[in-house]
Amino acid sequence: MGVGDYIWMGILAVFQGPEAFSLFGIAVSITIVMVLAGFLLGIMVGATPGLAGPMAMAIALPILISAFGFSPDALLPVMGFLIGVMKGATVGGAVPAILFNTPGTPDAYMTTLDGHPMTRAGQAKKALKLAHVSSASGDTFSDIVLILCAPFLAVLVERYLDLPEKAALLILSLGFIASVIGNSVGKGLISMGLGLLAVYIGTGEDFYPRLSLGTQTLAQGFPVATAVLGVLILGEVFKSLEDLWYDARANKPVTEPAQSGDQRLHWADIRRIAPYIARSAVIGTAIGALPGIGSTLAATLGYASGARRHAKRRPDAVQFGKGAPEGIAATEAANSSVSGANLIPVLSLGIPGNAAAVFLILATESIGGFNPGPGVFRFTTESVNPELVAAFGLFTTMMLANAFNWTIGGVFMRVAGVMVRAPKHILLPIVLMLTLTAIYVQEARMSAIWFAIGFGILGYLMRRVGMSPLPFVIAFILGGKLEDTARQAFAATGSDPWFLFTSPVAALFMALAVGFVALSLRRHRKGPQ
Amino acid sequence: MKRILKAAVAAVGFASLATSALAEWTPPGPIKLMIAFAAGGGADTQARLVAEDLEAKFGWKFIPEQVTGKGGMNMAMAMKDMPADGTVIGMGASETLGYNMRVANAGVAPSDFTAIATTASFQMGVVSATAKGWKTWDDLKAAAEAGETIRFGVMSPKLADLAYLLGKAQGIDLNIVQVRGGKDVLNGVMAGDMDVGFMAGIQAKGVASGDLVELASGLSKPLKHAPDAPTLADLGVDFNADGYFTFFGPGGMPAEARDAIAAAIAEVVTTDGMKSNGMVTKAFGAPDVVTGATLQTLVEAEYEAAGKLLEAASE
Repeated sequence: MGVGDYIWMGILAVFQGPEAFSLFGIAVSITIVMVLAGFLLGIMVGATPGLAGPMAMAIALPILISAFGFSPDALLPVMGFLIGVMKGATVGGAVPAILFNTPGTPDAYMTTLDGHPMTRAGQAKKALKLAHVSSASGDTFSDIVLILCAPFLAVLVERYLDLPEKAALLILSLGFIASVIGNSVGKGLISMGLGLLAVYIGTGEDFYPRLSLGTQTLAQGFPVATAVLGVLILGEVFKSLEDLWYDARANKPVTEPAQSGDQRLHWADIRRIAPYIARSAVIGTAIGALPGIGSTLAATLGYASGARRHAKRRPDAVQFGKGAPEGIAATEAANSSVSGANLIPVLSLGIPGNAAAVFLILATESIGGFNPGPGVFRFTTESVNPELVAAFGLFTTMMLANAFNWTIGGVFMRVAGVMVRAPKHILLPIVLMLTLTAIYVQEARMSAIWFAIGFGILGYLMRRVGMSPLPFVIAFILGGKLEDTARQAFAATGSDPWFLFTSPVAALFMALAVGFVALSLRRHRKGPQ
Repeated sequence: MKRILKAAVAAVGFASLATSALAEWTPPGPIKLMIAFAAGGGADTQARLVAEDLEAKFGWKFIPEQVTGKGGMNMAMAMKDMPADGTVIGMGASETLGYNMRVANAGVAPSDFTAIATTASFQMGVVSATAKGWKTWDDLKAAAEAGETIRFGVMSPKLADLAYLLGKAQGIDLNIVQVRGGKDVLNGVMAGDMDVGFMAGIQAKGVASGDLVELASGLSKPLKHAPDAPTLADLGVDFNADGYFTFFGPGGMPAEARDAIAAAIAEVVTTDGMKSNGMVTKAFGAPDVVTGATLQTLVEAEYEAAGKLLEAASE
């Protein structure tokens, strides 16, 4: 079994999987159909202000599991669908930003700055085409980096990191995520601390259930679906419902300016925006590879760097913020190139960096047979490592989604413009009901619903005080792993209490963890002045 | 003649009653299958394949759920108060109801649960990676005596005690690392995070391909793939890791439901061509099915005997 064999088996796993239907005598595998369906749903969801990719992923997951079952065969169709949603939502977010000055997803805010002025100038179709090309380029570039980097990073980790270093690396990741997400280190740390507190209730290796207050309900701990869906989805729904209450703008009629002129995308246009796409793709990929920073910051940085370059090189052209095509390109390439690179820490270390990655990890946990982490990329020569085949299968679904994006994504983007009219006051209750149903399907006991609503209220309060719920969720997902690794490292070093500091690499990771938090604190203290 | 006829009629009637009970009991709804093993490991795969086979063969519907941790005790405690009508069952190890329940001291005993059926007995080996260079237990012992730190991976508190006693009997120091499941021991040994570890059957593929080597048997008898490796008794330990993968449910399950589920599980794991049969045969040599009351007696006996190992390990 060489590397080439594994890649080929991964590709075959996608294209020769269970057959959905046959077209002119050629069998079309269910995985391909699911990737396409996910991608189209993703565009629609992304184009709907108030809905986001992770919401669709969260609701789709239990439905997919009950449709496809829990066998390893289900992995590629289910993950393919979720990856399709993730990619579609990235593209779709630009649609209402350009057409109606309302970002469909938070990371598309910067797109409104140049996209909407182009629409007002009668160039909406062209702006959409620009956004599509930039987004698809950024996304594809990011995926290529993922495919090239993740296996090497995993092999490096497996070869050079021992248990104490792995424990220190988890602490470093958590510290880093807490200090970069949101705009306050303190709030990030509190969010993360709450996540760890919640996950440590009832769990652990001791036979006595900890922190359970003596009740059997808490002794089993909180089911992961209740915490994640509660804080991420219900919290968002509660907050949006409140916004709706105050927000009169939702009732304002949507107007569409008349469109005129040449709407085609010429080769010269692409040449003009190519350098902006390239810079932003690199920025977005680099940011995506670090867990926790996310696509909104990538978009902001891509836009800022593009604006600087544009003002210097072409001072006489249309400037950023006034309807510059380069502005759309810089933003969309940056926010789209986050999604692929974000899977680098997921696949090579098992560390999720954003909400979409959290749901991909949840999917692998429910299906089984594939545990994201360094063990995936073990290139065995004698026997077949099925996880590695699955990993290359996942890469294939990503490239497949990119192919759909390049070919039919643009058309569907233009159609998705109608989604801005989807009334929020009807959508949000539907999301609420579907989320609670999804939780009940997985847990099938009433206490799970109460837990979820409790976490939803927590998520709402966090949003009210400007605290990002993402560190909470990531800490909840990684908490168990952190405890296990730390316990094992402690035992493996012969019960050395300083196991996190005795090896140079582990000590370096710990120093970096403290350093990131300290640096971010200083930056924020200086910031407001 | 009349009496014989009567008896025959009664016998036929009884038999048909019994078979109809077996054939007619169907779960009143989807069955929640709790799995005490980490997702993606060998035991988890086994549980899911059994469920898949039962779905295919009997049309029952399963909802699998991972309830890992504390040697199956998390699952046992979660299951304890759930409906005992056959809609909730779990798969753990026989030691969950035996040693682990005894150690947990959580106010429950095997009699609070209904043992249903076993699928296979452990092929518990002390396994290291071939790349490590050890060919026999003596090589490991020599390395430890030469001052090398030996990390020994285990996946349950009982095995941790056995590893401790093994080190003590052999006069060597072992750093015992407890992980969530056999898959994690396998990964740890392959990645070099651990030098050696207990594996209950997941090693079969690696041993066959030459990546892994079985240094000793954790059982009372030699291993199927390494008949020459010493047993724990040969190495001076009076206890062993004999055990089964075991399905059980909440206490007080009606005998009719218990026997129907047990018969169904026994049928799929012993029928050639079923997925679970293939998997069990490959990893553990052959299925090993003990059901119902016999199994209940067996786990209750292990629970009673657990005290001795506990005492020996706490010295």
